[in-house]
Amino acid sequence: VQDLFFAATIVAALTIAGALGVVLARRPVHAALALLFHTLGLAGLFLILSSELVAMGQIVIYSGAIVVLFLFVVALLPTGGFEGALGSGRAVAALVMVAILLGTFGAVIGAGAPSATAETDHSVESVGRVLFGPLIVPFELTAPLLLVATVGAVVIWRRQERAR
Amino acid sequence: VHPLTTESLFLTTSAVLFAIGVGGVLYRRNPISLLMSIEVMLNAANLLIVLGARVHGSATGQAVALIVLVIAAAEAVVGLAIALALFRDRDRADIDEPSEVHG
Repeated sequence: VQDLFFAATIVAALTIAGALGVVLARRPVHAALALLFHTLGLAGLFLILSSELVAMGQIVIYSGAIVVLFLFVVALLPTGGFEGALGSGRAVAALVMVAILLGTFGAVIGAGAPSATAETDHSVESVGRVLFGPLIVPFELTAPLLLVATVGAVVIWRRQERAR
Repeated sequence: VHPLTTESLFLTTSAVLFAIGVGGVLYRRNPISLLMSIEVMLNAANLLIVLGARVHGSATGQAVALIVLVIAAAEAVVGLAIALALFRDRDRADIDEPSEVHG
């Protein structure tokens, strides 16, 4: 992947810019659009890592389903989800935490990043063989998980409805 | 020859994204922005998994990343349902307000 270093730098910068937009945008609608930008950038990073299937999944599930879900909820929240004033204490706490995390991660990465050793088959077929082979149980369990999550969301909503 | 390898670039990107997500969770008061920051952290972890698959030359990491994507969708559904149920009767969407939650 070394020849793609330049492209990877640009896409990574755009992805980080999207993430910053998610955190800093005052209006939730703008934050959701930044999240869309961020997920598309991540799909680009997955493509550079030659993981086509994960990139497709990222676009379909994140950019397609989750961002639209967020936009729906923003429309349903009171006052469009607009929040109160953010005190400077919050900003200081967040910045301190980010500094601690970046210092820790930086020390770990600076200690030596791994480099790709084996050249392998990253085709969709090889991923499918793993999904339907050794990972068949967790893969099949995602189906009841999604069902339970959907039913749970409806139940949370209905209980609230009865309490009124 | 680049001074930085592509692997360390991806590692750094993942670390920065995760830190941004944590900062967002601490900084924002809006439940929607909070959940979006959590999604950013999840994406950072997923990027690391796919990079690991690349480095170790195995397709298992990619398969795990796909399963994580599906679980992220389920998490978003439940999280947003709780946020909506908590805040639709309030005039402000503020996570500091409901300090007591009764079942």
